Amino acid sequence: MAGYYDELLRLCGFEDSEIEEERPRIEKAFERLDISAADMDTAENWVTQHHDVSLRGVRLLLGAWLKELIDVVLAKDDGKKIVYFGFPAILGPGLMISASSKDVMVTAPDMVLSHTMGHIFNKLTPILEAGEANGLPAGHALCSLWQIKIGGTAKGMIPVPDLALASSYYCDMGSKADDLVTALFGVPIAYIDGVMDSHWGEFPDYLPERVRYLGAQINQALKKAEEVLGIEIAPDAWERSQNEARPFRENLVKLVDLMKADPVPISITELELMEALSSSSTGRGIHQGIRAMQTLIPEMEERVKAGIGVSEKGAPRVMLRAGHASDPRVTRLVEETGLAVPLTYILGSWGGVKAEPKGEYHTPGEIIAEYEMSNGYYHGTEAQIKFYERAAELMKLDGFITTYLYNCRPVATISHPQKKYLEERTGLPVLSLEIDGFDSRAYSAESLRTKVETFAHMLKSRKSKNPA
Amino acid sequence: MRVAGIDVGAATAKAVVLENSRMLGSAVRPTGYDVKLAADRVMSEALEEAGLSMTADGLDYIVATGYARGSLSFADKTVTEIICHAKGAHFLIPTTRFIIDIGGQDSKAIEVDPEGDVVNFAMNDKCAAGTGRFLEVMAHVLEVESVAQMGPLALESTAPCNISSVCTVFAETEIVVLRAEGKDRRDLIAGVHRAISLRVAAMASGICVKPDAVFTGGVAKNTGVRKFLEERFGMTFLVPEEPQIIGALGAALIAQEELKRRR
Repeated sequence: MAGYYDELLRLCGFEDSEIEEERPRIEKAFERLDISAADMDTAENWVTQHHDVSLRGVRLLLGAWLKELIDVVLAKDDGKKIVYFGFPAILGPGLMISASSKDVMVTAPDMVLSHTMGHIFNKLTPILEAGEANGLPAGHALCSLWQIKIGGTAKGMIPVPDLALASSYYCDMGSKADDLVTALFGVPIAYIDGVMDSHWGEFPDYLPERVRYLGAQINQALKKAEEVLGIEIAPDAWERSQNEARPFRENLVKLVDLMKADPVPISITELELMEALSSSSTGRGIHQGIRAMQTLIPEMEERVKAGIGVSEKGAPRVMLRAGHASDPRVTRLVEETGLAVPLTYILGSWGGVKAEPKGEYHTPGEIIAEYEMSNGYYHGTEAQIKFYERAAELMKLDGFITTYLYNCRPVATISHPQKKYLEERTGLPVLSLEIDGFDSRAYSAESLRTKVETFAHMLKSRKSKNPA
Repeated sequence: MRVAGIDVGAATAKAVVLENSRMLGSAVRPTGYDVKLAADRVMSEALEEAGLSMTADGLDYIVATGYARGSLSFADKTVTEIICHAKGAHFLIPTTRFIIDIGGQDSKAIEVDPEGDVVNFAMNDKCAAGTGRFLEVMAHVLEVESVAQMGPLALESTAPCNISSVCTVFAETEIVVLRAEGKDRRDLIAGVHRAISLRVAAMASGICVKPDAVFTGGVAKNTGVRKFLEERFGMTFLVPEEPQIIGALGAALIAQEELKRRR
């Protein structure tokens, strides 16, 4: 018997046989998420308008997210133990836990909810409001990603986890917000204290003390996970998890490589959706994401060969610090001004400046810590600027759009010096935009459009005066 | 070649009619609730002032700017107000290199090159503090009949009060308290003006500030704000004769360029 959601799921790459097989789970999950027939027109229009569903790879990508969402919502029903990690996070411990036991689901539910309830259903607001009503009120400069996690849990959309992997590795609110989760829902926490403040000029080198401290923190968190979850972290769990993750990374690098083309073959919205899977899922989302990429890569190659793209040939190329995690209109607005966006900072980590691992560390925690230090992903300001410089070279950029949330201290604090230093070091114009990358309720489309259009005009004028 | 520029902001709508770079007429009116009606009316008024008995249809090219630019069906092209203000200011004062524009609901800092092209800019985010709206609210609290009267009163102050520049609503509360404490009204008004200058200076902190500096927008008519800006930035700000229509003028100039390019 057909379901009200069949058309939407087909639009998101589900085969009919998959819909049939998963029907009971889909219906259960959708009921818990308060998704009904009344939401389908909105969702179908939203997806069609804002995602490149002419590409089967993009449809499979949306389906990968929906599958992850269903698995998160029903994890307890499926008899799983559940671990939530926050974003941004040190993924290593979560990957090791996931590789050690198929009975444990490790995920970033806030990212899953924002990328599905936002990107697909345009129905994130009730979850944000629930977060505001449960300890993270509006107008207090609190992170909307945490509002999503707490709101989703309070509404019973996502299960209360068995363990929270709390890291203030980059986000200094992370572990405090997990303290709130404990206060509200009684969740045990494995804390990982962060060491993100690399000194100016330190990266790509890193202090051994940083690796040892972070490594010890991670080892401690893994021990706690074993105790709370009743599992044993396998000695080769890190290696196995890297082997599982490798195809995802390798395919993502190929996708990013294709974005060097002019015109840019696909919207950065889709690529960010793809990368975000690796920051959110350790389960079905990853495997389905690999499947989506294996379809998308040849589709993008065809476009590159045919000279087809989403930007005009010769359009100014900008790196956008981050696309919007729940509202595709915001990222699309940047592209609609005539700018080509081949990269975001998040994707840049795959091709950015890296340090060579020293091979001096042997405990799982220290190996993960060194991995984190060596890619400088969430390091101090100067490490990030180095990424941007490298990106300018690789992607032949004409400018940067750096985004920051006024309430996100790690990002907001560096927004102005970052602009100054980037302009000095690359000679390229930088637009610094204040925008909430997870909650688009408080953004003014007209204000954003005015700033980005002006920047696009500046870059086009610059290009015409200095043709390559 | 007769062209027009129209700048429809949240507070006021402005229009300029140009012929071979000569301004034939201009108009300013409140935007009000109906943006399209305001646009039609301000255009008609500008054409009337130009002595032209025609409608907008009779013009060769129209460029629209301002927040409502996308909803004006009679415009041939839309351009952001930042670009237009740079164009207009540079046209009137070719030595312009830095512009502060303070309108009803936003403020901008713009750096231009010798050709008048924008090379860097900043706009206020999410807040009315530092805009004309801030002055309107304060005028009401301070029982000054109009914003225009505030400037001269500010210049009479000998000891400007410290007023918050973070939030219009909080600043209003502060004024009420300070008034109750018996502070001189002129010092309060000066404090308000200084608060704006602080806010604008913070916004412009990432922009290269160099002479000649030009002050545009409706708030540029306020001599008090101008004085505090000059103190804050340490330089003289030139103010065009009609600072409120600079955006519309820039739009009209762009209309002219666009027409030449097509022909």
